[in-house]
Amino acid sequence: MAAPAVKVSRGWSGLALVVRRAVLQHPGLTQVRWSRYSAEFKDPLIDKEHYRKPVEKLTEEEKYDRELKKTQLIKAAPAANTSSVFEDPVVSKFTNMMMKGGNKILARSLMTQTLEAVKRKQFEKYHAASAEEQATIERNPYTIFHQALRNCEPMIGLVPILRGGRVYQVPISLPDRRRRFLAMKWMITECRENKHRRMLMPEKLSQELLEAFHNQGPVIKRKHDMHKMAEANRALAHYRWW
Amino acid sequence: MAAPCMSCRGTVSCRLLLWKTAAAELQTNVRSQILGPSHTAAATRKKNVPALKHETYTVDFIKKQIEEFNIGKRHLANMMREDPESFTQEDIDKAIAYLFPSGLFEKEARPIMKHPELIFPKQRAIQWGEDGRPFHYLFYTGKQSYYSLMHDVYGIQRPDWLIKEELEEMLVEKLSDRDYMQFIHLLEKLLTLQYGAAEEEFVQRFRRSVIIQSKKQLIEPMQYDEQGMAFSKSEGKRKTAKAEAIVYEHGSGRIKVNGIDYLHYFPIMRDREQLMFPFHFVDRLGKLDMTCTVSGGGRLAQAGAVRLAMAKALCSFLTEDEVEWIRQAGLLTADPRVRERKKPGQEGARRKFTWKKR
Repeated sequence: MAAPAVKVSRGWSGLALVVRRAVLQHPGLTQVRWSRYSAEFKDPLIDKEHYRKPVEKLTEEEKYDRELKKTQLIKAAPAANTSSVFEDPVVSKFTNMMMKGGNKILARSLMTQTLEAVKRKQFEKYHAASAEEQATIERNPYTIFHQALRNCEPMIGLVPILRGGRVYQVPISLPDRRRRFLAMKWMITECRENKHRRMLMPEKLSQELLEAFHNQGPVIKRKHDMHKMAEANRALAHYRWW
Repeated sequence: MAAPCMSCRGTVSCRLLLWKTAAAELQTNVRSQILGPSHTAAATRKKNVPALKHETYTVDFIKKQIEEFNIGKRHLANMMREDPESFTQEDIDKAIAYLFPSGLFEKEARPIMKHPELIFPKQRAIQWGEDGRPFHYLFYTGKQSYYSLMHDVYGIQRPDWLIKEELEEMLVEKLSDRDYMQFIHLLEKLLTLQYGAAEEEFVQRFRRSVIIQSKKQLIEPMQYDEQGMAFSKSEGKRKTAKAEAIVYEHGSGRIKVNGIDYLHYFPIMRDREQLMFPFHFVDRLGKLDMTCTVSGGGRLAQAGAVRLAMAKALCSFLTEDEVEWIRQAGLLTADPRVRERKKPGQEGARRKFTWKKR
């Protein structure tokens, strides 16, 4: 599990000033994957509220961080990020995963159509329902989206481990980002494969999201299947060494 | 190659110029006499074991070089009709470039004249006394300065530490990567603790001086057009797109690109969002007008170029704090990413040809 994202090779190169944590653990290794920015550049922070905070409310640590930031070089902000209030990191990630062949325009339009469809459906239900039920119906598409993805996240996952020539599926607890990724991935594959030929993606996706929001539907079923398999293989749990 | 003999007015000595490459020759010419404190004679003549394995220079030799350098400097100043007292290293370099124009491509092979301390590498004096007993208590570790430094650091953290080469130069010892990283690790740990003024001084020695980045940012001057309206111009680029933007101070938020309204020039919402980003970030969305020209690149590259030009032009209407904020949001950095070239033997920049077993 050590340094998965950094490809390393033997030898030492000139960048010694700010050594990445992964490389610190393996002395004598160079990073092979390079970028046009040099190692001193830091990632930009696009959050209006963060900068508008008055000086009195900052803690010592924050003040120090601010002073430090003033001396650091910052990378350029990516084209997908803006300070707009309509932007959501989860939605952006999902859009990127839905994208095929670099066609971001199409993916983004599908996403907006999905959210619109979700909102329409919820409004129809709202108008058709009685007064007490109206209070329980959620109409904000973003909350529905987030909640649906959270409901789809599996708690335990299976990992193939090689032991004595045989591959065993060992149950382990997954880190947060893996869970989020799996939820999104299942949702997208489900919508791509198991739909009627003439049905469009936004419609199908809105359907799936609403079902997942209520803890029903094929994606939730897949999550439960994963849990059951992990439960069945729990005898192999001692194969885990980390 | 012997050092060239210069006869300028017959007053200059033969050794006025030192070629850097010839310094190596000089080393072989000078007998390896050991650097040492006052004692020279018996013990050292018997067993000529130098402190370092490669060439060594005596203290006297270096002193003589320094004297010759100073005298030569004065002669050079006289030749160039400058004041010898205030003749700096830059002036020396210019004079040498003028007197000895060289067409060599390798900068280090051209004639130079520098202070001998910069040319001859620093060396360590001999580490043991007459009786053979070493002076430093950590001598037998092999890297006495390094380990004594480690002791000090342990005894009592930020990214601007000295790099390995500089540290080696400071300690005049060879370090391995592991040693260096351990040292940095310790210094970082030290930073997390609170320390007083004495430790601060100690740590200061290993830090490079740090520059406030925002000071480096060039703020465009404000200009005034015929109606008296303030505006500022700036340029930006992204990939192969180049843009020039003019931001007017009082306006209603209209943006024109190449004479066309931005709604028509950028029909995609994402590009327009990029244009609105700098204004929205400083809460001046409907208050400033902008005109710009852009050429080259693709759709999103043009939007990125316009965004950069806009942010730079915007700087002249903002306070220092706000300039720092947009710098930290990444709006003022030019994106250096360009298309990677295709390499021979591969299908694309990274993709290799299909591997076939036979």
